Amino acid sequence: MELLTALIMLAGSFFMLMAGIGILRMPDLFLRMSTTAKAGTLGAGLMLLATAVYFDSFSITTRAIATIVFIMITTPVATHMIARAAYFDGSALWEGTIQDDLHGHYHTTTHILDNQPAADTEIPEIESDDFQESG
Amino acid sequence: MTLFLLNVLLAVAWGALSGDFAPVNLFFGFALGYVILWISYRKMTQVTYFRRVFVVLEFLSFFLWELLIANIRVVIIVLSPRPKLRPAVIGIPLDIQEDAAITLLVNLITLTPGTLSLDVSTDRRMLYIHSIWVQDAETFRAHIKTGYERRVKELFQ
Amino acid sequence: MSTVLIWNLTLAFLSLSFILAFIRLIKGPRLPDRVVALDLITILIIGFITVYAARTNQPVFLDVVTILALIAFLGTVAFAYYIERRI
Repeated sequence: MELLTALIMLAGSFFMLMAGIGILRMPDLFLRMSTTAKAGTLGAGLMLLATAVYFDSFSITTRAIATIVFIMITTPVATHMIARAAYFDGSALWEGTIQDDLHGHYHTTTHILDNQPAADTEIPEIESDDFQESG
Repeated sequence: MTLFLLNVLLAVAWGALSGDFAPVNLFFGFALGYVILWISYRKMTQVTYFRRVFVVLEFLSFFLWELLIANIRVVIIVLSPRPKLRPAVIGIPLDIQEDAAITLLVNLITLTPGTLSLDVSTDRRMLYIHSIWVQDAETFRAHIKTGYERRVKELFQ
Repeated sequence: MSTVLIWNLTLAFLSLSFILAFIRLIKGPRLPDRVVALDLITILIIGFITVYAARTNQPVFLDVVTILALIAFLGTVAFAYYIERRI
């Protein structure tokens, strides 16, 4: 039983490693998020599943599954909120992006997203982040 | 809904009677309760619960499978020395209107291959999706609409 | 003996991922990138705790995992709200 637990844990940590490499290698925020959201969720899910297998008791299995479901529900919500905030913040899409349907659809003052192209919405360009790097 | 609660109650009763609340035993109790309810309710044609259980099961297995495929594709992209990237943000018109259905669709899209749902327009007509690899916008729209939105719609009708 | 090797490999993967996420946390370039890195680091801590719980045979640590997942979500949402409102 311990070998099975260890193998599931290894698979989970492998997906987490993929999330780690992805967050460093991908060229823009949205690509980074699409690697971390999936790999992180599956990694954490597998590792919690491994503990459920290891302890083999009803209350712990329930707790592990509840946590997995919680992570699966909250990760997309958090991703959506960060993506929306980043778009307002002016995070640039990678230059290889072929199409951006979202461009110009946010009303920057009211934070309303419409489904029609609007003329008066320009994503503002912010010169510096609040946390400058030295060197 | 009442039938589902009745089925859960039967499963718990099975667990109490056999004195074993292990998940496998409870699952067996649930399956047994399902068969019992099916036998007693099969003459009533307006009851949709029995078919819906299979719809939910099919949806769940589809979702887990897609999650696995998504991760394998992420692994390939992350590990390849020159990743094949062709990202795009695509707006997709939505047919479904309920809050719960849209939430489910958005979660499903974020956790499946290469796609990331960014936002839903305030009037709930348009869903904006970021995808790692888009051949062209029309086929991508068709894929999302027939693959995911149809299933979610099936689940909620 | 081989089980111990697998455990150590698991911890090595997690540590390596931790370092990579930390590099992204330092590099930025903008605040949302850092928040995503922080989110990944919390997920990695969840992984560490599950390994520790299994190794020391202490299921109590799984409560910590549940609370940490909750706090990570709240923290990310709060950060997103702050980023969106500051402009």
